Formats: sequence, structure tokens, C-alpha cells
Amino acid sequence: MFKTICALLGDPVNPMISMCALPVAGGVLACLSRGRSRGALRMAVALLFGAANLVFALSLYLGGGASGALALGVQGLELRLAVSGIAALMLPFAGLLFLIVAVYAASWFHKREGGGAYMLLLFISLGMLNGALMADNLGVLLFFWEGLLCTLFGLLLIGRRENSKAAVKALALSGTADLILMLGILATARLAGSASMSEIAARPLSADGPGALGCACMLLGAMGKAGAMPFHSWIPEAASDAPAPFLAAFPGSLEKIAGIYLATRIVTDLYEFAPGSPMSLFVMVAGAVTLFFGVAMALIQKDMRRLLSYHAISQVGYMLLGIGTGLPVGIAGGVFHMMNNALYKTGLFVAAGAIEDQTGTTDLHKLGGLRRAMPVTAACFFVCALSIAGVPGTNGFFSKELIFDAALESGTIFYVAALAGAFMTAASFLKLGGAAFFSEARLPQGRRNIREARLGILIPAVLLAALCVLFGAYNALPLQTLIGPALGDAHIHAGWPENGTLVLLSSAVLLLALADHVYGRKKGGGALAAADHIHYAPGIKQAYALAERGLLDPYNWLMAAANGFSAACAWIEGGVTWFYDKAVPGLVTGTGQTLRRFWNGSVSRYLIIAVAGVACICLIFLLAALGEVAP
Amino acid sequence: MNGWIPVLCVLVPLLGACALPFAGKRSPKIRNALALALVAAAFAFSLASLPAALAGEPLAVRVKLPLGLSFGLVADALAVFMALTSSLVAAVIVIYSFGYVREYDNQNEYYMMVVLFIGAMMGLVHTTNLIFLYMFWELSAVCCWRLIGFYREEIAVARANKAYFVTVAGALVMLAGFLGIYAQTGTFDLEAMKGFPLPAWAVVLILFGILSKSATFPLHSWLPDAGVAPSPVTSLLHAAVLVKIGVFAYARLFVGTFVIPEIFALAVPVIAALSALLSAGLALRANDIKRVIAYSTVSQLAFILLGISSGTEEGFVGGLLYILAHAVAKGGLFLCAGIVEHSVHTKDITKMGGLAKRFPLTAIAFALCAASVMGIPPFSGFFAKYLVIDGMLAAGHPLLAAVFIIGAVMTVLYLARLFAKVFLGPPAFPDAKEGTSGMVASVVALAALALLLGLAINLPGSLAALIWEAM
Repeated sequence: MFKTICALLGDPVNPMISMCALPVAGGVLACLSRGRSRGALRMAVALLFGAANLVFALSLYLGGGASGALALGVQGLELRLAVSGIAALMLPFAGLLFLIVAVYAASWFHKREGGGAYMLLLFISLGMLNGALMADNLGVLLFFWEGLLCTLFGLLLIGRRENSKAAVKALALSGTADLILMLGILATARLAGSASMSEIAARPLSADGPGALGCACMLLGAMGKAGAMPFHSWIPEAASDAPAPFLAAFPGSLEKIAGIYLATRIVTDLYEFAPGSPMSLFVMVAGAVTLFFGVAMALIQKDMRRLLSYHAISQVGYMLLGIGTGLPVGIAGGVFHMMNNALYKTGLFVAAGAIEDQTGTTDLHKLGGLRRAMPVTAACFFVCALSIAGVPGTNGFFSKELIFDAALESGTIFYVAALAGAFMTAASFLKLGGAAFFSEARLPQGRRNIREARLGILIPAVLLAALCVLFGAYNALPLQTLIGPALGDAHIHAGWPENGTLVLLSSAVLLLALADHVYGRKKGGGALAAADHIHYAPGIKQAYALAERGLLDPYNWLMAAANGFSAACAWIEGGVTWFYDKAVPGLVTGTGQTLRRFWNGSVSRYLIIAVAGVACICLIFLLAALGEVAP
Repeated sequence: MNGWIPVLCVLVPLLGACALPFAGKRSPKIRNALALALVAAAFAFSLASLPAALAGEPLAVRVKLPLGLSFGLVADALAVFMALTSSLVAAVIVIYSFGYVREYDNQNEYYMMVVLFIGAMMGLVHTTNLIFLYMFWELSAVCCWRLIGFYREEIAVARANKAYFVTVAGALVMLAGFLGIYAQTGTFDLEAMKGFPLPAWAVVLILFGILSKSATFPLHSWLPDAGVAPSPVTSLLHAAVLVKIGVFAYARLFVGTFVIPEIFALAVPVIAALSALLSAGLALRANDIKRVIAYSTVSQLAFILLGISSGTEEGFVGGLLYILAHAVAKGGLFLCAGIVEHSVHTKDITKMGGLAKRFPLTAIAFALCAASVMGIPPFSGFFAKYLVIDGMLAAGHPLLAAVFIIGAVMTVLYLARLFAKVFLGPPAFPDAKEGTSGMVASVVALAALALLLGLAINLPGSLAALIWEAM
């Protein structure tokens, strides 16, 4: 028995298979927890299975990776798993974040309905994410990738069966992205003659010419998972009423890890991604558009969840902009920014969830002065907010500076877009922080007093904030110890940014945002209205009105295109139906009626018809005979 | 002795079906049990033929007849694959029917036609002779005609006639093609004709029959109209079994037997692409629950045809797996639609909503089957779609592969719309009751099967690969 267990653990495939199967088992256990102590049981499962997953992931990372295969028996599909490089780094990182969000979820659902189903789907999502990170075969990657879509759809339906718009939207947009990824994967595998990522990485494909289809489609698939434009619009929809832990886990961290991991693999391993190439431009434009318009929408939000959800979109833009440059500094910056974002964005969502848990609302009109009632939450919020705003010395600052550096080298326009994004990010967090924590104390209707959040929610928030501080104060740890070796990048990006001018410009932009906030606050009469002078500025007001009416929502475009196509199909179908239902029966009955006219009892008419018939037959025989004689 | 297994597989349901009306006169219970036993027997005989087919020595019976004719049944891997798929889904549908049709007239005829149809299907997949293939083909059309007109209302009869005329007209054109081949080869025996290069005109004539049976644009119009039939019939004929006859014939004739001109390796996928997109567009617009699923069937059949006609191993194996995955999942969807329609007495999805609360098991089964049709892992539909599109790329048609991706996106859209309209949103029928336990168990079984087949895809996958090798 002991020997068998040792043999099982010794085989590298088994820990990897366990990392897919174990979470599913954990989810089932959490789901089956019933009775009064179900909250405690779920917490125990979250801790135990989350920690076990983290141990497996760390053992793979520290062991230098592993690989192994199980045959699936279907053409070209082999369950080949391989952990190395960036995948090996992402596994424990995802495991750590999962542990935090699982604890948070178990605490959040302590007295709420739907916790069992949520925990089940959350755990299955981890299994899928682990599978996607470990997959060496592109088909297997797709398998796990689309599995994440299933759990996403299920999670969005929990407790919201009557309002399924977000779930349907997510399914449509992410489903489209996943199908595009399928095409990209198949085209890539065809071109490379292999679906194994490690084999392709040995001889990367050219991203131009025949490789363009595969590369572009795969990148679109990665963007779809990360929540970049144009696959983003389900996120604000979900932010309105999805459970708070969902926002922390999915748009906050796990989906970003998957999307950016794949984008990085495409750029660094699968394709020769030359800086300045059309493909690089494509990714940078997608990144710049996402970061700019995402944060522009965040700036005008008056609900904490929606505001944060637009930031979840815009931050992906920075990551894509960095990775899209194809420069080592940009790629390292993009990956570092993804890790930072996962920390501070999850932290912000957890803090928002804590506020919602205590006050019952996320509407900023009803909140204010929370720093006194919830000091620890406020402290965590500010650490994360300073990080996302990129205040010098924070982790967000270091990753943004790397991206700015790469963006400037790739084109001034990208750098300007990124700076504009930084301005709006800072402005919107000044507004959010001011409105929720600093304005005069307000209590939502029906609330007598507000207390600090529960321990199960505070611990995740504090942990995330502490990690932000660690990654900022000692950026050599993430950059030099973790990311550099994982990317095989020998450059040293750690320490204070080399380009002092860029730092000065970034700082100036932050000061400008502060000045704008002070001005807007005075003009609008409060922190919540601090961005109104931008929102309602001539020209900009109209653009925002269009966006708020959904006219700029790609989902609506997709549906309009599909409905237009559908109307054209209905027109064609009308013709086909007319042919079967009217034309053919009409022809048959019409012929019958015509022939009936000949049936009038006149012998001479029948005789003429008979003679004509005989004459025809004779003619046919005659022609046939002539034909035989002729040659 | 073993050679008689395929004969029994065909004759037991064919002859047994004739006994069902008599059994029904004695006791409906006996008739129902017998009907299930006959379909189960077909499944059991197919299963018994599997080891020999896997070993590459298929069980076969051949009888020489005058005028160069012959009668033969062979249980090769393709025949066994089709027979297993059809009889398995049919058995679930028969169990479902016990609850569904119990309050209607003409039940004796209903069960007789269902079992006769399965017999015809068994004959069709096992036969080695073009004329017998045609005869079983027409027998299936007759069963289909009676079953679509089951309710005997004017509209049902008219739609049944339409289905009959379109498929029979197609079959007659196909027969002309068969006779043309006979004129050139002097035989109807498929094994004797293996490798015979078929002229383009003969391919076009036979394709007419295939496309009409498999409801491919523009010969598809009868299929959405046939939704007037009882739901188990729609499921059996228009999702699981009947419509697969056409694609089976394509595989048997154009991949396994004849050599066809190169042009069809492009022409048929183009027709399939057109059919897939058009019907997906229509599914997005339809408001009749069964019409949406029927248009979806037209669309998915085009995917199957695409795979089978791609001329590559990946595509062919994907196409075969698609037949299986689609039979199970789409059969399940139609049966779920039946439970809904049977309970709320409407097919209009704009009047439905919130049924997930009243019909939790049906809603879950529907969602799982829909996920399989959408091609989401780990369901069997995922592997099928993946391989079909891979096959298209392997055949050097990236543009067609992209078109099919658009078709797949539309599949996601219309199935999500259907699920949301029927099962989500504010409850429209707060007092609706889920069907009988047999009906619910049937849909749950099919949903579970869709999932299990995905998890154990190597079993049907290796059989499909074997079929390709034997071709």
C-alpha cells in the first residue's frame, strides 16, 4: 500500500492530475455540506483543499516543473501536461489567490443562500484553471478553457434565475471568444504539424503570413478570457448583482491569470512575435483601446461594484499593451502587472464586499465616512487603491512604469493613451475613496450602526494588501526571482525605474489627477461629483450618453448582426417555403386541372391524342434506329 | 451461426413491430414492454456484433438472388456504430413515450411505427445492396409519414405529406442514380463496386436523396414543419435517427464504396456551410421551441456532413462522433421540449419563462444537452466539433472552417436564448408540473450519456478511427 502511494506520488503525472481532480472533490464536499455547521464545514474545505492545491502547485514549481501524458484515444488529443516556465509560476500564484478567495467566499456565504453551488463551481473552476495552465497539448488547453466558460455561466446564474442577462451575455461573448480560440488553436496546430506547445516552442511559428490567422485568433481567445474589449461587456452587467465573491474571484483574478498566461505563451513561446510587426500593433491597439475606454467608463460610475468592474477591464488593457509590444521589458511588465492587478483588484473587490456585507449597499450615494466605522477595511482599500493608481513606491507603480517604458518605445500614441488611463484611474479612485470613506458619515436606510467586517472577510483583505506592499517594497522578489526566470528573461527590471523622466511624467499625471479631483469636488459639491465636470463636458457628454444607452456595447453589435443575418435568412426561408407549400402544389393541381379540360367525352379528341402519342413513339424509334445506322 | 446476428438485428424489430398492434389489443402494458424489448434486442444484437467488427472480421450473411441481385447484411464497424447509436437513443425514447403518448389515440400504430422504423434503420445500416438500401430508406419514410401525422389534425397530415413527398422525391432521384450505376456496373452489390469511380451526374442524383433525408438546405423545409409530431417522434426521427440516414449513406457510399470526383470535396462542404449558417440564423429567430431545435438540427447536420465529406481522417472521425453526440444531445433537447410543451400546452417561447424552478431536472438536462450541442467540454459534442473543424483545416479550407466557427457562435447564441426564454426569467407558469418520472428519467439519462460519452470519448473515438481505417 505504502509503496503504491509512493509510486503514485513519484510519477509526475499524478500531482498534475490531482490538481485537476482534487478541486472537484473539494467542491463536491463543500456543496454537500448541510445543516447548521455548513458554514464551518465549507470554510474547512476551502482551507484544506485550497492549501493542498497550493502545496501541489508549489511542489511542482520548486521541483522545476514536470511533464507527463495520458492517452485520450482520440485523434491528436492526448492529455499531455507539462509544467515549466510561466505555467509553473502561475500555478502557485493562482493557488494562493484561490485560497484567499475561497476563504472569502466561505465567509461571505456563511448565512446566505447558494453557497453550496457557488463553492462547487468555484472549486471546479480551479480544476479547470489548473488544467489550462498545465496543458501542453493545445486541444487539452481548449478543453479546460471552455470548461471555465461552463462554470462561469453557472456562477452567474446562482440566485439570479430571474435576471439572467449577465449570464447569457457572458456565455455569448466568452463563448464567441472561445470558438475563435478553437480556430486559432487548430490553425496553429496544423501549421506547426503538432498540437504540443513544447514542440511548437522549440520551433516557434511566424506570426505573419500563413501564421497570422492562428496567432490572431489565439490572441483573441486569450483576450476574451482576460475580459478585454470587445469581449468585456458582461463584466459590468454581472457587477450589478452577482455575489461579491464572484467578482473577486473571476473578473478580479482567476480569469485574468488564464487570459494573460495564454497571451504570454503565444507571444513568447508559440509565435515569433516581432516588436513593431502588424500582430504586435494589433495587440497594442486592443490594449490601448481597452485601457482607455474601460477607465473612461469607470470614471463616471456611481456604484462601487460597477466602478471596480470597469477597472477590471481597463487594467487588462495595460497588460495587453505591455505584452503586445513584444519587448522583454513590456512582457515582464505585463505579467508583473497581471500579478499586481490580481492582488489589488481582488483586494478592492473584497473590501467592496465587506462594505456591502455591513451596509447592504454599494451605491455611493448612500455611503460615506466609512473610515471610522471600518478602519481595517479602509486601510486595506487605500493600500490597494494607491497600488492601482500607480503611486510611486507601490507595486502597481513598478509594473506600470515597465509598461510605459515599452509603450513609449513602441509608439508615442500608446504611451499617451496609457498616461491618460493613469490619470483617469487615479481620478476615479480619489472619487471612490473620497465618497465612501471620507465624506460625511451616512447610513443607508434601515441601518443603525455599521461595524468592521467579519474576520473571514478581513483576513483575505489584509493578506492581499500585505502582498501588495511586499511586491512594492521588494519588487526584486516578483521581478527578479519569479518572473524573470519564468520568462527566461535575463534583463534586470527590478529596482527603481531606469527612466527618471517617465517617473516624473507619471508623478505629474497623478498630481494633475489630484488637482482635478480638488477642482471637481469644489465644483460638484462633493467627492462623488468630482468627475462630473469631465462627464458632462461638451462633446464628452454625448459620447457617454451613447455608451450608457448600450450603443457602444459589442454584445449589442453582435446581437444586431446576428439578428440582421437572421432576418435575411428568414427572407430566403420564405422563398423556400413558398416553393414547397405554394409553387409545387400549385403546379401539380394546375396541371391536373388543365388536363381535366381534355376529359370531355369527345371520341375524336381522344383519338387525336392517341394518334399523336403513337406518332411520338414511332418518331423516337425512328430516331434511335437512324442513330444506330449513322456511324 | 454468428452470421445470423445481423439478420436477427434487422428481422426482430421488423417482424416484431407487426405483432405490436395485436399485443396492444390484449394489453397496452404488454405492448409497451414488447416495444421496448424489441428495440433493446436490436441494441443487444448490435452489441453482440461489436467484437467481430472491432477484430476486423465483421459478421455477415450473403444470399445470391437471380438477375445479378444479391441480399446481404454485414455488421461492419460503421454499421455497428450506427446501429448502436440509433437503438440506444431509440430505447430511451420508447421509455419516454410510455408517459407521453398514453393519453392519445392510435397508440398501437405509434409503437408499431416506431419499432418498424428502427427495424428499417437496422436494415439500412447493415445492408450491402443498393436496392435494399433504397427499400429500407423508403420504409423509413413511410414510418416517418405516419408518425408525423400522429395527431391526425389537418395541419399535422399536411406536414406529414410534405415530409413524405420531399424525402420520397429525393429518394426517387437517388434511385435513378442507383439504376444508372447498375447500368454501368451490372450489380447492386456494394462490395463488388468498391473503388468504382462514380460519374458526377450519379453523385448529384444520389446527393439529392441524401440531402433531402438529412434535411440540408434547400431540401430542409420539411424538418422544421414536422414539429407538429409528438415530441418523442420529433426526437427519434428528426434528431436522433432518421436525419442521420443521409449522412450515413454519404459515408457508406461516397467514402466507403465509390470514388467520387474531386470537385465534391469542395462542393459538399460549401453546401453544408450554407445550410449551417442559414438554419442557425433561422433558429435565432424562431419562437416555437421545437422549430428552434429543428433548425438547430439542420445546422448541426451540416456540421456532420462537413466532417464526413472533408476527406480527412480527423474530419471523418469527428463527423461520426458528431452523429453520436448529436443523437444523444439533440434527442435529449427534443424530449425536454416535449416535457415543457406537454405541461404548459404551448410551444411559444415568448409565453414561457422561469420554468427552471418548476422543472429543475428538465432544466439541468436541457442545459447539459445544450452544452454538448454548443460543443463545450467535457461533453461529447466538444470533441466532435473540434475534430470536424480540424478536418476542414487539414483539408486545406481555412475559410470554410472560419464559416463554421461563425455557425458555432450562432449555435451558442440561439441555444442560450432558448434556455433563457424557457427556463430563466420571471415564472410564467407557477403551477406547471414536470412530466412523469419515466419522462424525466429519460432526459436525465440522455444528459448523463452526453457527459459520459465525453469523459469516455476514447471508446467511440477508437471505433470511429477503426471505421476510417476500414474505409
